[in-house]
Amino acid sequence: MNSQLAILVKGELSRLNKYGVFSISILIAVIWGVVLLLVNSDFLAGLLPFVLFLDATMMSIMYIGAEMHFEKTESTISTMLVTPVSNKNMVLSKVLGNTIHNLVSSLLIIAVFFIAGKAGWTYDVGFNIFVVLAGVIIATSTFTVLGLILSYYQKDFTEMLVSMFVIAIFLMIPSVLLMLGVIQGEEWENLMLLNPMQAAQNIIIGGFPNEAGELVFGFEYFVSLGYILFGGLALFRFLAIPKFQDYAVRQSGV
Amino acid sequence: MFKVENLMYKYPKNKEDVIRGINFEIKEKEIFGFLGPSGAGKSTTQKILIKILEDYRGKIFYNGKDIQEYSDEFYEEIGVSFEMPIHFSKMTAMENIEFFLKLYKNNANIEDLMKRVGLWEDKDKMVGEYSKGMKIRLNIVRALLNNPKMLFLDEPTNGLDPKNAMILKDMIREFRDQGGTVFITSHIMSDIDQLCDNVAFIVEGEIIEMDSPRNLKIKYGKRSMTLEYKENNETVTVEFPLDGIGKNQEFINLLQTKDIETLHSGETTLEDIFIKVTGVALRDE
Repeated sequence: MNSQLAILVKGELSRLNKYGVFSISILIAVIWGVVLLLVNSDFLAGLLPFVLFLDATMMSIMYIGAEMHFEKTESTISTMLVTPVSNKNMVLSKVLGNTIHNLVSSLLIIAVFFIAGKAGWTYDVGFNIFVVLAGVIIATSTFTVLGLILSYYQKDFTEMLVSMFVIAIFLMIPSVLLMLGVIQGEEWENLMLLNPMQAAQNIIIGGFPNEAGELVFGFEYFVSLGYILFGGLALFRFLAIPKFQDYAVRQSGV
Repeated sequence: MFKVENLMYKYPKNKEDVIRGINFEIKEKEIFGFLGPSGAGKSTTQKILIKILEDYRGKIFYNGKDIQEYSDEFYEEIGVSFEMPIHFSKMTAMENIEFFLKLYKNNANIEDLMKRVGLWEDKDKMVGEYSKGMKIRLNIVRALLNNPKMLFLDEPTNGLDPKNAMILKDMIREFRDQGGTVFITSHIMSDIDQLCDNVAFIVEGEIIEMDSPRNLKIKYGKRSMTLEYKENNETVTVEFPLDGIGKNQEFINLLQTKDIETLHSGETTLEDIFIKVTGVALRDE
């Protein structure tokens, strides 16, 4: 990472902290801890993949949307445009900043579930941490890019919430229904591979063993991995960077 | 330093150009002002010069090189102060400045700058707690933190009290005297009059007149001398042509024999000249 990018990422993380986004993540992890302690349910422990999936997708879009909204109200994008920083580094720093934040958030949640398992509040959820974290990082990055692009076209935070609602209805709920077995069948499974939410879920769940206690990296896992990874890169390269200048210019009062 | 040739610009959603073939040159070590009412094209021109707006027609040269050939390194040499505050409100003034400072190779002495604008004592306050005037002053620190060669100021004294406006104007003059070049856009006539070496009147995207404030006053001024004196407990006002005033016997007699109250040359203000030349009032927003 070049020094300019490192400064920008540090700035992003610092602002996420100042705006209380880190505090929200800690609070969410604590709430999970309390719920696991009080409810003492194995069902809840089984929700860990879902919680991580939600954090990497919907929450990523919401966090970057909130950050962009704050910057919009403060017109700080205008002054960033007249620094010797390239648009690519500006956009990349936002993606990296949000991904690092979400990684920390996911690690906190994993730690809470781990402690709950070891303390006997729930069963011990076994998983391959490296595969899970790789899935979280890749999914978070891609969904942060998606959130960034959405924020370019939204006038305010309310519009962002409406977009999230639409994404939840058309992309997330079908994915959750498939996970819960409400919709079943190979055709559905194949069709749902086109759903980026489903692909994100597949690459995170890939780190959790099946009923036989084995990690299975099948066709779905690799298709999902390629889809999210290359889809994210394509969105970054062909939409997030080229459209950033237009967005930033609009924030300068044009 | 900057040379603009036949510059034209149209916003994507507009049908007509907002900048209509303007030409001007900003010489090194001068303060060049753009004076015009709101919507005249002042800020748009500035945004083009600082490479925020692209897709313009015409040519712009910075130090003899087309600005389109400059990379992001261009911003190492320029400082920009926007009209609106542009800071992270949940961070302190110093945290804001330190963040931007790290993005440049060349760094100014921040303590000196902050003290000069009267913000050093409040450097650890959240910017969100600053008044509008304090935020504007912080904008100036932000613009100067990389020791720029060229400074772009958009309505720099808007929102400042007279004392701080004076400090800011002194800083701008010092910047020029130390070799810097300044481009100011403003609708406040006194700013332009007091600061600028050269001024362009811009209305509806066209430059109507361009010269030094002094030359404009000579060119469009009234060239008269008005004298007021007391006679029979009443004030009498007499106006004389400025040309040949030293040989005007009536004027000399009045000076020698009357109790003179006031004596003024008929120098027209820049605002009067602007209205006379353009037919547009500056405060007609």
